[in-house]
Amino acid sequence: MKLYVYCLAEGVDRLHKTPHGVSGAPVRIAHFQDLSAVVSVCKDFRVTRKNVLAHHEVVQSITERTTPLPARFGTLVTVEQLSHYVSTHHQAIKAKLSHVHGRVEMNVRMIETIDGAKTPQENETVPGPGTAFLLEKQREILCRQAGTAQKEQLTAWLREKLGELIKEEKISLSPSQTVILARADHLIERDNVQEYRTKMTKAVDERPDIRFMVSGPWPPYSFANIELEFSRQFGVS
Amino acid sequence: MADFDQILVGEEWEDTDLSLLETFDHVLNRGLVIAGEITISVANIDLIFLGLNVLVSSVESAHETLRKREATE
Repeated sequence: MKLYVYCLAEGVDRLHKTPHGVSGAPVRIAHFQDLSAVVSVCKDFRVTRKNVLAHHEVVQSITERTTPLPARFGTLVTVEQLSHYVSTHHQAIKAKLSHVHGRVEMNVRMIETIDGAKTPQENETVPGPGTAFLLEKQREILCRQAGTAQKEQLTAWLREKLGELIKEEKISLSPSQTVILARADHLIERDNVQEYRTKMTKAVDERPDIRFMVSGPWPPYSFANIELEFSRQFGVS
Repeated sequence: MADFDQILVGEEWEDTDLSLLETFDHVLNRGLVIAGEITISVANIDLIFLGLNVLVSSVESAHETLRKREATE
């Protein structure tokens, strides 16, 4: 028997108005010591848009009461696998739940045009394969360098705008030849969502050169994974 | 809990279909990894946040890969 896992949580003893889960399956709680796994018994799981949304709605319904660790979509395990995972990661799970307790995730996406970005011209000479290879390598190096610098500037700028609201952040950049696409994931206190939005609205006004998209609050998908921490703790690479 | 579906685009908070794309991005690309090998990963598939069509294509690809894997089990 396989279980579909939506999230892990603490202090969830019963479900209240939880929507149906993936493939229309009812949602249940499996207890492992002092932790709970929100699951469905899954016989026929498919990767569909409907199931993606069902996963999110279940996690969201739990997040309305407490802050869970959302599992990645498509997590199918046996009861034994789940039990083993929880028992071997128990300390790390508890620590992570404590860290996200009372908090939610906000996201900021930013698109900035690179100054002096070169756009391809119609009459440009097509380089030979060797030259093209070297030019591409040069572009990669320059993008990487620009990305590192941009990431530091962006982190500093967001910290200046949002200050103590940010409890944890993750910044990722995807530079291309003409634009830098940046994403900032912020873990903030639930009560600070409105203040976060207000501060970001002001920040958006100050940077007409950047296109923003701010979303949230979300369950803490970006801050849920503990595998790396487990590896750090036990020296497993 | 504040409304999940509003997104700040430009200067206005809007209810928008972009929130659906954001949902997909969160659910498919992030979250606690429990099993060493989970259904959606198929992790070599880059679920790139470019647009719904691209994302649907990636999900369909994941579905196809899963079907093939189930057929060999």
